[in-house]
Amino acid sequence: MILTGVLLAVFGLGLVGWFAARGRARLLYTGRGSMHSMPAYHGWHMALWILVPALLAWGVWSAIMPGLVEGAVFADPAAASLPTDPMTLGAIVSEAHNLASDPSATAFNPEARVLVEPIRAAQARFGLIGALLVMVVAIAGGGYGFTRIRADFRARTQVERAVMALLLAASLMAVLTTFGIVGSLVFEAGLFFKDVSPIAFLTGTHWSPASTMGANINDNFGAVPLFWGTIYIGAIIAMIVAIPLGLMSAVYLTQYASGAMRKWLKPMLEILAGIPTVVYGYFAALTVAPMIRDFAASMGMQNPSTESALAAGLVMGVMIIPFVSSMADDALAAVPRAMSDGSLALGSTKSETIKKVLLPAALPGIVAGVMLAISRAIGETMIVVMAAGAAANLSANPLASMTTVTYQIVQMLTGDQEFNSPKTLSAFALGLVLFVVTLILNIVALRVVKRFREAYE
Amino acid sequence: MSKSDWNSPEAARRIARRNASELRFKMIGLGAIVLSLSFLALLLVIMLKNGVAGLDWRFLSGSDSTEATVAGVWGATKGSLLTMGVTLLLSFPMGVLAAIYLEEFAPKKRWIEWIEVSINNLAAVPSIIFGLLGLAVFINTLGMPRSSPLVGGLTLALMTMPVIVISGRNAIKAVPPSIREAAYGIGASKVQTTFHHVLPLALPGILTGTIIGMARALGETAPLLMIGMRAFVATPPDGLTSPSSVLPMQIFLWSDEIDKAFVQNTSAAIIVLLVFLLAMNGIAIYLRNKFEVRW
Repeated sequence: MILTGVLLAVFGLGLVGWFAARGRARLLYTGRGSMHSMPAYHGWHMALWILVPALLAWGVWSAIMPGLVEGAVFADPAAASLPTDPMTLGAIVSEAHNLASDPSATAFNPEARVLVEPIRAAQARFGLIGALLVMVVAIAGGGYGFTRIRADFRARTQVERAVMALLLAASLMAVLTTFGIVGSLVFEAGLFFKDVSPIAFLTGTHWSPASTMGANINDNFGAVPLFWGTIYIGAIIAMIVAIPLGLMSAVYLTQYASGAMRKWLKPMLEILAGIPTVVYGYFAALTVAPMIRDFAASMGMQNPSTESALAAGLVMGVMIIPFVSSMADDALAAVPRAMSDGSLALGSTKSETIKKVLLPAALPGIVAGVMLAISRAIGETMIVVMAAGAAANLSANPLASMTTVTYQIVQMLTGDQEFNSPKTLSAFALGLVLFVVTLILNIVALRVVKRFREAYE
Repeated sequence: MSKSDWNSPEAARRIARRNASELRFKMIGLGAIVLSLSFLALLLVIMLKNGVAGLDWRFLSGSDSTEATVAGVWGATKGSLLTMGVTLLLSFPMGVLAAIYLEEFAPKKRWIEWIEVSINNLAAVPSIIFGLLGLAVFINTLGMPRSSPLVGGLTLALMTMPVIVISGRNAIKAVPPSIREAAYGIGASKVQTTFHHVLPLALPGILTGTIIGMARALGETAPLLMIGMRAFVATPPDGLTSPSSVLPMQIFLWSDEIDKAFVQNTSAAIIVLLVFLLAMNGIAIYLRNKFEVRW
């Protein structure tokens, strides 16, 4: 494509402009203090004047060119015989576009072949116009930049202003991402709630989005079993594993372990946090789940399923241990030394000090850490996808198969169904619930941590 | 005999009891760590036992196949490399620039606080939500090709950027003010001070954070599942827009196979992935130890 080539040409021109402007500025140098800015800044100023307007022109042209090509193609006599039905027309035009870029592509509509030549001609014509336009803008910008090179010109101030704009744009990216997440989730969930009432979604207890049976669509989208499964696996079973192990690990590492031991044990514990979740999921499905199934069978359970809430929750708990441990570590470290010293001076042993003084004093921080851990556990996807199962059961039996919000999001979006069905859109509604819940957990936890730190300062 | 007699058998018993309870508590702590680490050891041993026999040149250079004995990981590895390339190219400059702005230039205003809050929240948003964003924005709205390294890299870049911003800000914060004052003292402008002096000194810290963020992105599966990177791809991807798989996705796809022979492939692919992650974390630790300056 000529437009891609012209992009390279613009960058080349920018480089040439940089050297030219720097060389010109060097000639102006007559001694200490004779110029406001160093020659390199004049170079940058010139390069910016070449690149920025030219890239803007390029972006604008790339955006409007498809429309121009379309217009030219429909004005062509070859397009007169095309069907007017928008569906077929769209298919023919997109096939013709494929053919124009790759002649070996297959086309189902014979009319598409007719359009290939007009498309190619229009693309070549408008591509050339665009390329010329971009080059003219680049040269004009460069010419203007070149005339500004004078000994007293404040090139550095100008360049620094551009740098500041770039820095600000990069920071705004984060806000843009947040808006993107909220916007897309709310928009798609809104489409879903047009079909299904939000109250039925949040309070219904029957989840079977695949079935088209039943008069009322609201009956099939009751998400309570999903919420229950998520809480049971992520906030109950996983935490039963992670809180005692993580907390006691932190106590041992901060209070008992020698410096050398701590130096070795802490990174090893952190390896647990660095293992990809898909590996944990496979471990759960391959090793833990069959073990639990055999255990269930030996307990006299009829036909225990391989997929159980217990297997997913256990492995998820192991994954969360280092997280809980490092949060508890921070909380214990924030307790003033004087408190434990006072307790030790009164004659209590180290374990008594930890149990009666340190842990109660660090409790708010630990609770906040657990909240963050829960928010991480309920957003976890791969372990539950591989080990928890698809059946939406509302049961308290840890050996039963259970499903979670994240599992259902994956389930809804990895098939080949059309995009705007309520079934697919329900994934975004579930995503919205997940996003809001984790956001609340995070905000509350960070508040608690902040207040807790202030209390001891 | 008074109650405070330290030599009485009663006192000796109480001291023994307290000592025993002390020891018990300490042992519970040690036991917790040992138990956690033995999970890790069990996981690694099982993966090695199942997978090490499958690691040969044919496995490392082949692509996905329906036949377990000819399937390999090179296709997925190449997809991972392309995806990570896009992620790094986008998230590193953006993250560093944002960190510089927030730490060095940002005025103390209300809307700056908004940026900080949204970065901190993004770092804690579940990864699958980023997948939903990628699906809704990049694929459905902008019409980018499904299951391509381009879209995967963009999605993971949005996820990685907050991590880089947070670690970058900490690294920049750690550069002492005396460095900046010395630069101002010889007439440098604020931008010159930042880019000539503060940034080079903060760079090892920023790089450490970047590598850790990239390692997390490399092991991520859920967001890529959302944007359709689960297609069966029998040839290595030859560009940023061609359908491709990534290593964790290959592990997920193989783990779903009914054929028992794929257990070995899955475990071997896990070993390959863990080796990559270990190498990245090793580089991060090396960088930290080699270039870390205590001011």
